[in-house]
Amino acid sequence: MSRVHSKEEYPYVTVKLNVNGKDYEASVRPYERLIDVLRYKLGLTSVKEGCGRGECGACVVIMDGKLVPSCLVLAVRANNKRIITLEGLAPEGKIHAIQKAFLDTLSVQCGFCFPGVILAVKWLLDKNPNPSDEEIKEILGGHLCRCGSYLRFIKAVKLAVKYLQEGKVYFDIKELRSVSSAR
Amino acid sequence: MKDIRFDVFVPSSLDDALQFMAKEGAEALPMAGGTDLIVLIRNGIVKPKKVLDLWPLREELAFIKREDGWIRIGALTTIEEISNSFLVKDPRYAGFLDMCKQFATPYLRTIATVGGNIGAAHPLSDVTILLLTLDCEVKLMSVNGERWVKLEGLFLDKRKLAKDPSELITEVRFREIPQNASTAFLKFDRRWGHAMGYIVVAACAQLEGDIVEEVRIAFDSMGRPFPERAKKTEEFLKGKRLSGDIIRDACSKVLPKEMKRISDYRASAEYRLDLSKVLLKRALLKIKSRVGGG
Repeated sequence: MSRVHSKEEYPYVTVKLNVNGKDYEASVRPYERLIDVLRYKLGLTSVKEGCGRGECGACVVIMDGKLVPSCLVLAVRANNKRIITLEGLAPEGKIHAIQKAFLDTLSVQCGFCFPGVILAVKWLLDKNPNPSDEEIKEILGGHLCRCGSYLRFIKAVKLAVKYLQEGKVYFDIKELRSVSSAR
Repeated sequence: MKDIRFDVFVPSSLDDALQFMAKEGAEALPMAGGTDLIVLIRNGIVKPKKVLDLWPLREELAFIKREDGWIRIGALTTIEEISNSFLVKDPRYAGFLDMCKQFATPYLRTIATVGGNIGAAHPLSDVTILLLTLDCEVKLMSVNGERWVKLEGLFLDKRKLAKDPSELITEVRFREIPQNASTAFLKFDRRWGHAMGYIVVAACAQLEGDIVEEVRIAFDSMGRPFPERAKKTEEFLKGKRLSGDIIRDACSKVLPKEMKRISDYRASAEYRLDLSKVLLKRALLKIKSRVGGG
């Protein structure tokens, strides 16, 4: 980490991040958080600031394989780390099976909480490909959804497990319209 | 507008970190996981000029070891690491499993640390309350060397520790408890996920048959705003048969004599005291079944 020479009290620091497989360099103030970099500097708007104090789960990202609230991680701490946000879950033009399952079960209502919820589910399914209801509830216990889609989340996770077991990891965005109008 | 700006020092080694704390003193604050400190800073409750980021020291300070009859836990061990360690598989330390399951949320467990939980000195510090029942010792390091202190005497007030600002918490340790002992941890709140708890209780007891050989009980607060042990209730239980009557007497007669609860916007003192009685009873019964049932 190199410090930019300056007479300022809180000079900019350069941090290197690998976000969704791409390398970035960003100049940040030492007190800035990972969410400030991801959302406001890199424009990854799936990372949402709900409460800003680690209570709502809207800002979670996967950093080096761990689910972390990006509002409580300083940007300097994310230096040289690999970060996955919702945008990095599937290649361009496709969506991940978990996203598809959330659409199919109509889990997403206002859409503020689900980037965090989907990343938490991804993290859970990576460790445990066939979770029980209790395990799903535990992992989503810290994600607040003010539309109250909690029960649909459980349904969606079960559906995502089914898709993944059938080997369907990615779905083409073009096919989505026909699927949802068929419902 | 609150000033939430601060500078961050990223140490290259533990020695580097200790030098920094010796130089900066109270001007700087050490940060472990940051789940508490960042919130405090952003709310303007504490205003450090500088923050020492301890995370780079995790290679040295994140471990759980069994050594010469001691369990040693590094200060930067996360709650998630405890929940994946040998500790939670041992029926004697089942309290750690209870604690990990109820500690905040999965995404906070990946960054919240043991040392940070003690250093925050908040009454509702789950790890601290459980460690109190294990008669835990804390290692404090500074440039002048290291010292071990009892966790019990470490708290002075809410968010106030009996340690020099330049000292860092680097490790905790406790003696392994015998095979006929076990631990339990209970918390009560309206919801399961992300609960602070109206009250939190942890207990550790050694039972010879039904007789209580040794017992330690800790609550989030006994009257003062930091976790403390219920010494009189422990004394009462020692040497007695852990039967329904004795447990009832301990919870409803002895405990209320030494416990003072406060009323605030979260719960009233009466409700808290009532819950304390019930949860202590459940904790003791849980330990009884854990020791008996193996």
